[in-house]
Amino acid sequence: MRQLSSWLGRLSVVVLTVLVASACSASGRVAGAGQTLVQVSERDFHIAVTPNHVPAGDVLVVVRNHGPDTHELIMVGSRSRLPLRLDGLTVNEGALSAVTVASLDGAGPGRVRQVRVHLAPGRYELFCNMAGHFMAGMHAELVVG
Amino acid sequence: MPKRPEFRPFVSRGRRAIAAILVTFAVFSALTLTLSIWTTKGSQHRATVIEVAARQRTLAERYVKEVLLARTGAQVDPNNTASILARSADALLVGGTAPSVYGDDDETKLTAASGGIVRDQLKQERRLVADLTATGSALLANRSVIGVPLTAHEHLSITNPVGRLRVLAALTSNVSLNAARTIASADDQNVTHLIVVQAVLGALGLFTSLLLGWALIVATRRQTAHFRSLVTSSTDLVLVLGADGCRYVSQSVSTMVGPAEAEMLGYGFEAFVHSDDRSALRTASTHGGPREIVFRMRNQSGEWRQLEAHVTDLREDKSVHGVVLNARDVTERIELEEQLTHQAFHDNLTGLANRALFRDRLDQALARAERSDRLLAVLLIDLDGFKQVNDSLGHDAGDHLLQEVARRFSSIVRSSDTVARFGGDEFALLLEDVTEHEAVGLTQRLLDRLAAPVTIAGRPVALGASVGVVLHSGSGHSEELVRDADVAMYAAKDAGRGRYEIFCPEMAKDLGELLGIEHELRLGLQNGEFSLHYQPEIDLETATIVGAEALLRWHSPTRGLVPPARFIPIAETTGLIQPLGEFVLRQACAQAADWRRGGLVPESFVTWVNVSAKQLGGSGLHTIVQRTLEETGLPPSALGLEVTETSVVEQGVAGDRARAELKLLHEQGVRIAIDDFGTGFSSLGQLRHFPIDMIKVDSSFVQGAMHDPKDAAITANLVNLAHALGLVAIAEGIESPGQLTSLQSFGCDLGQGYLFARPMPAEQLTDLLAKGAPHLAPDEAVA
Repeated sequence: MRQLSSWLGRLSVVVLTVLVASACSASGRVAGAGQTLVQVSERDFHIAVTPNHVPAGDVLVVVRNHGPDTHELIMVGSRSRLPLRLDGLTVNEGALSAVTVASLDGAGPGRVRQVRVHLAPGRYELFCNMAGHFMAGMHAELVVG
Repeated sequence: MPKRPEFRPFVSRGRRAIAAILVTFAVFSALTLTLSIWTTKGSQHRATVIEVAARQRTLAERYVKEVLLARTGAQVDPNNTASILARSADALLVGGTAPSVYGDDDETKLTAASGGIVRDQLKQERRLVADLTATGSALLANRSVIGVPLTAHEHLSITNPVGRLRVLAALTSNVSLNAARTIASADDQNVTHLIVVQAVLGALGLFTSLLLGWALIVATRRQTAHFRSLVTSSTDLVLVLGADGCRYVSQSVSTMVGPAEAEMLGYGFEAFVHSDDRSALRTASTHGGPREIVFRMRNQSGEWRQLEAHVTDLREDKSVHGVVLNARDVTERIELEEQLTHQAFHDNLTGLANRALFRDRLDQALARAERSDRLLAVLLIDLDGFKQVNDSLGHDAGDHLLQEVARRFSSIVRSSDTVARFGGDEFALLLEDVTEHEAVGLTQRLLDRLAAPVTIAGRPVALGASVGVVLHSGSGHSEELVRDADVAMYAAKDAGRGRYEIFCPEMAKDLGELLGIEHELRLGLQNGEFSLHYQPEIDLETATIVGAEALLRWHSPTRGLVPPARFIPIAETTGLIQPLGEFVLRQACAQAADWRRGGLVPESFVTWVNVSAKQLGGSGLHTIVQRTLEETGLPPSALGLEVTETSVVEQGVAGDRARAELKLLHEQGVRIAIDDFGTGFSSLGQLRHFPIDMIKVDSSFVQGAMHDPKDAAITANLVNLAHALGLVAIAEGIESPGQLTSLQSFGCDLGQGYLFARPMPAEQLTDLLAKGAPHLAPDEAVA
């Protein structure tokens, strides 16, 4: 039994090392084949984008929800001010459909999703549009070019 | 050591397998049911939790409305809603009672939330509720909302108090809904897991049951095969008889009696069964009994075989529905039984009734005579001169003679009379319903018929008989009648043989004499009336005592000194010769051992003991001798046994046994001498084959040697013969110096007789030996 647990311990060390190594390489600017990696970290009620300035072109956006609540991610070409719906609590996505480059539905905590986008130079706004979440601070900017 | 698999045909493996299947089903069903109940209960609880969690959403919205209404002065109680919100959020997270909402639902008991995500969401909900109600309270109290500390990481950019309140309510509502969803999805997962687990359990149970079922089938098949092979390979015949005749017959029928199995089925078997036995079989098949029956079946060669069957009634047994017969061929056994029964009541040699059957018939005749008052006669017949025929012509001739006599007797008597042979040359006749005249007439005819010569071994032999006749009427005992006939027969013998005597009570006195001696012999053995005398044996060349012959003496307190010739035959006929012989052997060996220990006799000294044909013919003489030698400490070479010529050359079983005994004794080292040599009828050439050391020339030749040239020639030849065979010759009954001289001239080795010494008590011979005078000159002995 003791042998088994020590064996499991060694195995977990090896697995962790591999994971950390792959995470380090993933956080690099290039995810391979001319694709830029952008990591988006969501939590109640904040969005962090790393890096927040990337070259134009193909971008792989990896979104991780740290919870505890469920969160969406919508990415639109930036305007000075995003229009709200009449309830005053959510962004009017309908009015932004022309500039929307990505839209991920709500996902529970712990979920990691990714989306490939081709980004032209400009400013992009990333936000969660669940009721009140945008108003509570869940939005961030990505600069392309 | 590997354990051998045991054959246990009656162990109910099948029952065990069925039990195992049932247990498997029970265990798996119980497991599945428990899981279902547990999961259902969990689901019920989660439904309640979901209800409460979902209610929070409504309550948050209601709270905002109530705050706004309260600001307009309406009669609402937002604080109560705030309290319900807070308590419910608390109960959802840590367990407890979620309060009732008036007009909506009742109090709900909750257990603490489990699962990391749900707990995180509920904690967040609790923080948001706190932020919401704090903001609401500030708004109601007209305090600045901006200053209300926020605990759930909200970064509210909106400054409008109502807007802030609505955002917080939306956040609360959202997280409540998502917590409810998380719980619901966990429940779904649980249900999915349950379905998987139940499917696995069901499959496992089914697989195990199938496995056990298969094992059950295999075990049952094996058992069936086992029993089938037991039944089919059994040499016993197994028959199952039902209402429609024979329903099953084992394969052994063809090897046992012949017919093929198919021929036996239905009522076909009856064709092979003896017609007298068919009803017994039918009875057995209809009544299931009796337990044992014997019936006959014809085999292929047309012989009737006797079958003994054990009947088992299995008509009520659903798997048999018939009467089972386990039959064995007992033909040989029954024939043997019949033969034994015949032998038990018949004389082997002549086929006549034996003593037992005669006694039985006599008892029946006596019972009839008692009722009818008629006369019956018992004749006891002893052949005269039979022994001489036997001795001179051999036992085969004697047997032929007895068979001829039996034929002659049977031809004379009526069919209702019984002729029996009692053994030896003794016959008996039972005549029923006769007059004295008829009985006497028949007796006379018997004697006449016997007198006609019979040709045996090429010689005409005429026989006579002594017949004792008893005439009897009324009650009586068969034993007495036979004894009376015996007495009458002896009277006839005494009266000169070849005649008959009718029993009269005076004759009984003589019987008393005969019976008296036997009785006294027995008493004499017990009372120590027997003793041994020893007659020295002399080396004729050196005149040294080289041995002694032990001779039995009986001092009867009533009869005085009884000569051996008078009591030895009685001892032989009564079987007393065995204990008497053992007595002689023991005494002689003990005495000889004493002499040796005392240094009175040389190493080569031999003590001789007479052994009768009866002793030799009875088994085990060599073991008695060996035991006696061991007990007395006498070496085998110091003991000699004297046997008669006839006992050694006798034909048949007794003779074979005697020769075998002698061989064993000789191998032990015991010396053997032929006594009374020359008087028998044996072929001298046979002597070569016998294990003997010495021959004793009969005194009749010795005593005639001086005067009768024939006796002299015989004696000389006997001595020469002994030497030619490498044997020692000893002359018996030397009484005169002249005889001694003759014997010495013939080269005879040893001598014995009154000339040297008479038989003397042991003490006397001891004294003689102790005198240190090993030389026993004839003159001294006579003196």
